Amino acid sequence: MYRIVIDRSLCSGFGACAELAPEIFEVDGGGLVSLRVGTSSDAAVLDAAAACPMAAITVVEEEAA
Amino acid sequence: MTHDPTFWLLARASGLTAYALLTGSVLAGLVVKSRPFGRAVKTASVTDVHRFLALLALGMLVLHGVSLTLDRTVHMPVAALVVPGLSAYRPGSVALGVLACELAALIVVSFSVRRKIGARNWRRLHWATYLIFAMATAHGLAAGTDSTQPWAFGLYLGAVGAVAFATAWRALTSPTRPTPVPVRERST
Repeated sequence: MYRIVIDRSLCSGFGACAELAPEIFEVDGGGLVSLRVGTSSDAAVLDAAAACPMAAITVVEEEAA
Repeated sequence: MTHDPTFWLLARASGLTAYALLTGSVLAGLVVKSRPFGRAVKTASVTDVHRFLALLALGMLVLHGVSLTLDRTVHMPVAALVVPGLSAYRPGSVALGVLACELAALIVVSFSVRRKIGARNWRRLHWATYLIFAMATAHGLAAGTDSTQPWAFGLYLGAVGAVAFATAWRALTSPTRPTPVPVRERST
């Protein structure tokens, strides 16, 4: 399971994450990215984190509860 | 002894190539933000291209400077590559190139310290790219010995036209709102 953290002070709303993992990331009304879910087992979160132009996404791998 | 033109040719070719790479990087950066191709082109890929072209341009500028110091046509001391105005050859236009190169290096480095300076300052600094592009264009036209050639002038004209067009496109489209991706249509 992956815990996802977005540093909103770095997010610039490029939307690369929402492109790669739309079930998890969405661009909100303010033009910044919000999380639809806090954790996910989808490895697409890793691609999304790597794709962020500002490297604003941190993914922490956790043991499933 | 005849003058070996190798470094002189290399200096001219690397300068023009660096300018073309800089133009490509600016265009890719504008595509990242304005997304003219919608979902057909992945933002992550364009970002990679943007960064890669910027680094390649800096590398080409190093080659440009080194080959100028090794050639005897314009007698460029190493210090003139770092301190604007020290060049005996067209000091003003060479100074523009030196400043543009230093500013470009600063912008590349700024990505590594974006957390420290904050995203807002990082973005503000990125606006200086337009200044760098303008300075590089003026430097190329005024200091370059090929500028009077139609092909070289065409390169500068094409680059300025392309950046102006992409900038206008960016200004006319929403700057922060990417194309919405329907959740069910996600491709794997």
